[in-house]
Amino acid sequence: MGEFKVHRIRFFDYMPSAIRAMAFSTRTERLALARADGALEIFNFSDNYFQEKVLPGHDGRAVEALCWVGPRLFSAGLNGEITEYDLENLRPRYTVDAYGGPIWTIGVNSQGTLLAVGCEDGTVKMFEVLKERIQFQRNLDRQRGRIISLSWHPSGTLIAAGMMDMIRIFDAETGRATHRLVVDRGAGASKSKEVVVWSIAFLSDYTIISSDSAGKVQIWDGLNGTLIRTHLITKWDVLALSVSQDESSLVAGTSEGTVVQFQFLSSTVDRLDKDWVRTRTFKNHSHDVRALAHTETAVVSGGMDTQLVVRPLLDKVEKNTRESAIRKVSFPHRSLVCCAKKAGVLLFQFPDHLELWRLGESDGYGKPGGSLPVKRGPEKLIQLKRKGEDHICCSALSPCGGWLAYSTVTSFRLYRLLNGSISICKVSKLPKDLRPAHQLCFSTDSSKLFASSSNSSVVVVALNEPECKYLGTLKAKYGCRQPVHLLSASENGKWLATANTDCEVHVYNLDKLKLHCTVPVYGSCPTAMAIHPTTSNLVVVHADQQIFEYSLVKKEYTEWSRRLQKQGLHSLWLERDTPITHVTFNPKNPAHIIVQDLFMFCIIDKSLPLPEAKNVLYNQMTLRSLPEPDRVLHSHGFKICKDFQHLLCVSLLEDHSLVVVERPLLDIVSQLPAPVRQKKFAT
Amino acid sequence: MNTNNSRCIAAVVKARSLREHRPANGSAGMQGGGRVRSRSLSVTMRRSAMTLQNNMAKNQRGEAAPSSRMTGRERQMGGFSLLLESSDDEGPEEVTFEDSKADARRSMKRALDTARREKELLKEKRRKRQELFQEQKKRKLLSAEVLEEIDSTKQEQSHVKAAEEEAEPEEVEGRKRNWKQNAARNLKGNYTVTTVKQSTLASSQLKAAEDFLHSRMYGPGSRRTTSNEMLSLENKMGKNKSAAVQFVKKNWACQKKAKAEKLKKTWIHMQQIPSS
Repeated sequence: MGEFKVHRIRFFDYMPSAIRAMAFSTRTERLALARADGALEIFNFSDNYFQEKVLPGHDGRAVEALCWVGPRLFSAGLNGEITEYDLENLRPRYTVDAYGGPIWTIGVNSQGTLLAVGCEDGTVKMFEVLKERIQFQRNLDRQRGRIISLSWHPSGTLIAAGMMDMIRIFDAETGRATHRLVVDRGAGASKSKEVVVWSIAFLSDYTIISSDSAGKVQIWDGLNGTLIRTHLITKWDVLALSVSQDESSLVAGTSEGTVVQFQFLSSTVDRLDKDWVRTRTFKNHSHDVRALAHTETAVVSGGMDTQLVVRPLLDKVEKNTRESAIRKVSFPHRSLVCCAKKAGVLLFQFPDHLELWRLGESDGYGKPGGSLPVKRGPEKLIQLKRKGEDHICCSALSPCGGWLAYSTVTSFRLYRLLNGSISICKVSKLPKDLRPAHQLCFSTDSSKLFASSSNSSVVVVALNEPECKYLGTLKAKYGCRQPVHLLSASENGKWLATANTDCEVHVYNLDKLKLHCTVPVYGSCPTAMAIHPTTSNLVVVHADQQIFEYSLVKKEYTEWSRRLQKQGLHSLWLERDTPITHVTFNPKNPAHIIVQDLFMFCIIDKSLPLPEAKNVLYNQMTLRSLPEPDRVLHSHGFKICKDFQHLLCVSLLEDHSLVVVERPLLDIVSQLPAPVRQKKFAT
Repeated sequence: MNTNNSRCIAAVVKARSLREHRPANGSAGMQGGGRVRSRSLSVTMRRSAMTLQNNMAKNQRGEAAPSSRMTGRERQMGGFSLLLESSDDEGPEEVTFEDSKADARRSMKRALDTARREKELLKEKRRKRQELFQEQKKRKLLSAEVLEEIDSTKQEQSHVKAAEEEAEPEEVEGRKRNWKQNAARNLKGNYTVTTVKQSTLASSQLKAAEDFLHSRMYGPGSRRTTSNEMLSLENKMGKNKSAAVQFVKKNWACQKKAKAEKLKKTWIHMQQIPSS
């Protein structure tokens, strides 16, 4: 099969940022997630929970709450601004200052016409949602104390606002505060601290459900302003609440990392006396749960441990199927590492800086599975800090290691690396058409740079010193509005393949700078693709783990691809829950395709038979134990290696050595902020 | 030793009973006083028992307690130790109440004295430091002539500044009231000082809100532990028990280690020089 010298890299200190808020849109089946550094992520729940879009963060944009108004996404933050996002260009569309100090919460009424924000100065401000913007309408009665949470009644006439030590009910039309519900403080030492009503929900039968920092979930009668029931669920804070669409189920997230579910059930068989009863407890997080979303079939939670967990509810889905499995998203679904194959240099992308490392060298020979002595260790060549307050959106390194480019939402920078990538100088004269890009790619001979820009178009720039020349813009025929998230150039410099989040894959002819063909649209979003150096076949892998191979010359699917589709992929392959993020090829063997996802990398050998359903998929260990002649009988084309875990990048260098960038989850967990102290017996 | 202790206790009990038979001054105060006194009595009894034992030990070891160094109490004890020499079985003689009372008073006075002396010393230090600061401040202020010169050059500028300069020459704050230039001040010389990034009201409010959130979640009373501790507990309680996650603190004494490394290199270098 193949013996590779592996550069095992663990010095990429990737540190994800905590999840701060989330909002689920049932109409579009999309989840919007806001992180502590201001980054926004959009997950497509109908497409295998693929992370479709990532909007980079901004210094000082401390997002506290998110809200979907139809297809539009709004966020409110502690910088006092309400921001609407342009999801087609992956940038904020505009910001509106609420002039109320830091904004803690945002909520839209069920008709989608009014947006209410709760501010630090104690006012609830109403904004009208207009077609292209929002406009300030009025303030409700100003209160003493900050408004931490708010919730609209489904009719749109009342608003319940959670503040310090109390809950206020406002009449949305007159703006008067009608009721005041006093929340008890905690017992003991916490009696002296004010209790913060972290989250609140207003149901259609005028029941208000509140969660506070004393660990209670309280159920109130919103019409009379009285307390119905108190549930003490934890000793720490209950930070988040989410109610399902049909108001029969409610989840509360605590600082301990547990998510407690309450259901509106009756104790007897007949449906007369229904009550909110605590049913399930999920412990999927080690740190505080700060954001929750209750979809129809699952509970989505996220918090300080930076992982997004989707827990399907077993009374809504079939048991023991792929749908009922718990899903954890801990790493991004895109590559943050760029490998310069000819130079042996790696580029690591962080939100605020870029790092350039040279790989180490080793001489010796060893047995498979053993480690070789390192002759020269890896060294960090350059650390490049970004300019400005926007975080880095995308970056790229040319294969020769001579050019480096990165883009934020407002600026684009290109650098020339000299003396073996040690010295760096900025290229100042850039063509005007080169605007901030969503994805960057260098051609294999390092002569051209491709930058994706708005409306699924790609700008082509020739790299020259001192000035880069604009060569042209590649546009697709139809009006595609979605951003391009994958770019792949062929090795002979003839083809460029682009994929956008609308599942469209276009291939351009670079000699003529025109569209060559469009791959037939497949329902799932492409997650990785690459063009074979010799056969010019485009290999595309999708979020539902399907693999397609398309011949660019013949403009049709290849024979191998048809065979694969006819037989179908192995069930274990389809059940994997992390998408393939990188596709590459083996120069020595044209029949090989190397694909990589978070937990494994696989060498697909097209010359070997495809695995059937009854075959064992992960058979590398067993094959090694068999004698030589038997191996041929049992082997199949998917050779999976799971030796390296939490892979961020797998790449093949020119000298036929494998570069594997790992980020062990333990390294991330050990650097997280403080969890609560749970006193356990015998510790 | 047990016999000694029992005798001491017997002495204490006797002393207490002595007190209770005295005419009452006020029952509560009496009891309280009596209790205090008996406590001090028992303390002194214990202390005297200790010194007695020490002296006995010394005598057993053959050391003669030098009479010149002995304090009054010890002199009394000394008398007792001589007696003990003769008869080991008998317990120590009882110390009279007055003696131990005087003893206690003396030690209290000594303690008060030392406290007073320390306070005075601190006061002195503070006074000296204050004087030093005053002197430094005076030195920092420019001499009157220089200020007049600045006055004259600034008269061409706006009215606001001229008005400020009319204040007394020693007033340094006048120059600071220069709001027009964002936090820019002109010191003696030709340079200005400005902040790199102007902090706005919004950013200070943002900081305050973040501080509030941080204090609620991680502030005092939040009962938190470290990630390391949590992972180590998991290792301890899990199926395959293993060591704590950060068993050895690898980043201790970084500078010392770097120094040692450098020393090692120089030593090796030195070793190589004579051989080459």
